[in-house]
Amino acid sequence: MSVAALAARDLTVEFSSGGYVVRPLNGFSFSAGDGELVVLLGPSGCGKTTLLSCLAGLLTPTSGSIDFDGTEVTALSGGALSEYRRRTVGVVFQAFNLIPSLTARANVMVPLRLAHVRGSDAGARADTLLEMVGLDERGHHRPDQMSGGQQQRVAIARALVQDPPLVLADEPTAHLDYIQVEGILRLLRSIAAPGRLVVVATHDDRITQLADTVVELAPLLPDSERQPVPVTLVAGQGLFDQGDPSDLVYVVESGQVELFRNRADGTEERLTVAGPGNYFGELGPMLNLPRSASARALTDTVVTGYGTRLFRTLHPSGHSAGA
Amino acid sequence: MVVVTLADLRYRYRQFLIAVLGAGLVLAMALLMAGLVGGFSAETGQTVGGVGADRWVLSTGSSGRIAAVGLFPQTEVAVVRHLPGVTRADPIVLLPGEVALVGGKTRTVNVMGVRVGGMGDPAVTAGRPLSGPGQVVVDPRSGAGLGSTVVVGGAPFRVVGQVDDRTLIAGGPMVYMALAEAQSVALEGRPLVTAVVTRGVPGRPLPGYLVLTDAVVEQRTLDSLAPAVSSINNTKILMWVVAGVIIAALLYVSALQRVGDFAVLKALGSSSTALLGSLALQAVLVSLAAAVFGAVISHLMVGLFAQPVAIPSSAYVTLPVVAIVVGLLSSLVALRRATGADPAAAFGG
Repeated sequence: MSVAALAARDLTVEFSSGGYVVRPLNGFSFSAGDGELVVLLGPSGCGKTTLLSCLAGLLTPTSGSIDFDGTEVTALSGGALSEYRRRTVGVVFQAFNLIPSLTARANVMVPLRLAHVRGSDAGARADTLLEMVGLDERGHHRPDQMSGGQQQRVAIARALVQDPPLVLADEPTAHLDYIQVEGILRLLRSIAAPGRLVVVATHDDRITQLADTVVELAPLLPDSERQPVPVTLVAGQGLFDQGDPSDLVYVVESGQVELFRNRADGTEERLTVAGPGNYFGELGPMLNLPRSASARALTDTVVTGYGTRLFRTLHPSGHSAGA
Repeated sequence: MVVVTLADLRYRYRQFLIAVLGAGLVLAMALLMAGLVGGFSAETGQTVGGVGADRWVLSTGSSGRIAAVGLFPQTEVAVVRHLPGVTRADPIVLLPGEVALVGGKTRTVNVMGVRVGGMGDPAVTAGRPLSGPGQVVVDPRSGAGLGSTVVVGGAPFRVVGQVDDRTLIAGGPMVYMALAEAQSVALEGRPLVTAVVTRGVPGRPLPGYLVLTDAVVEQRTLDSLAPAVSSINNTKILMWVVAGVIIAALLYVSALQRVGDFAVLKALGSSSTALLGSLALQAVLVSLAAAVFGAVISHLMVGLFAQPVAIPSSAYVTLPVVAIVVGLLSSLVALRRATGADPAAAFGG
């Protein structure tokens, strides 16, 4: 098997949610070498699953590229993309996502049967993998007759059935107790070997101890002790855009700032107008979330940007304008 | 995908079973309705054909319907008998909708007066044929047993014989008696008849009369039931639609339950076409199972109807074909759920 190497460059994914433009990935890049166990770490909503969907060829990014083993995944389409999904990538879904009507053995066989592999050959391969994950005696049980850990093992066996060089696992320990977690992590660690790259998306930082590479999807918390930054804006000038990383809380010294959301249809929805004495943009830096709205000066304006700690000291009960 | 499809059928067997039962019962009703329409035709054919005539001579005013009571003088029998090509002619008087008392219960029967030993005198399947006055041969649906007494037009008659499958006008049982007694019962003894039946084919027309074959007499007699046949056929179509809706509803609910499965299957490499094929296969299997169940139920229920139910063989052949078409159309309802499944949704927890 050839050496696998994964590289994502400047990935941006943008879509409409609730009428607004959402950008879970914004210029994201990372790379990993063959045989590595890569952990994508971050809280809920940071874009882990979106990134996995892109790596799996199930979601086309708005911009940027993904290369795996010399193939530009983001350039694939039609049959080539289906073939990539079928042969190159094995996916372990969150909550297992086994087909409930099928036995463990039949679940493992599904990708092979979809690829028109003969039933006897697919069955033999499934038996081998179920033995590998320690479930050779549970092959005829349906998912509802197995524990969460056993279902996750079946899901891993299914992901490996085509012997793919890239295995993606989404929150593989999310529904498991600590005993089951240990078994699953050991299994994931063992399958990350030369010829196979394993990418695990999780918010469980215990997994990082086993990882060869850890990729933080959420930016580091901004410097809360940062000294005040005066910003002068002319009328119509933008201060920040929806989806940008959050760093400072702004207080309006003079002039007016309009806060608005970009709608999916290209229009803007005004949320509020902040005047002298008002502040805005405080939740983003406090919770390490991207900006949920854009800010633009309506008139010639002066604002001061504060780190969160200093802001809370200076403005224990100010007038928030939002965003 | 066939394995997944069959496994899903087994997994959700209860809801599929309910659909099979529901759709099957509706299909049984549709088959029985086809049988009712077939029964109209069958009973008319058996009663008309049972006379054994080569031609029927009926008054023009009857429009060729034997149950229309187009009376004409019995003397015309001799005229017909002497027509070229006719070797024999016998009178018949058919009196539909007569009230009879059978075992103390009032029944509506169709009285046919015939020349004893002539054409129209039925070949009994039980008892003995008519041989003299005060006797009747009846269809068992009249409820009159051999040796019992039937009162028609106030006069008592002894049942000497039975003949099967002789009904007319939606199951009205035939009561055969001597011509003179039928004329006495309903025509105050006047020598009138409603038909002359012949052996041989009259060589020339008879002014004021229609000379018709069995087939034409059957068809024209059935024409009087056209509104009922039309209503039943319309209802039958409705039954097909209801069966389709039941199966479509099942598939739609099933598709809703399987949206996650569809996403996973797509993520694992299944095409939308394969998913649609899976749904279509389920629909066809459920439809065929419903068709088999409906056929069995309708077969068992035929005997429970008071009037003849003759489900045509073609209906049993058509049923699975229609079931497959209904199933495929039903699967279209769930089409969007299958083809619209986003494989990226498989990542959802």
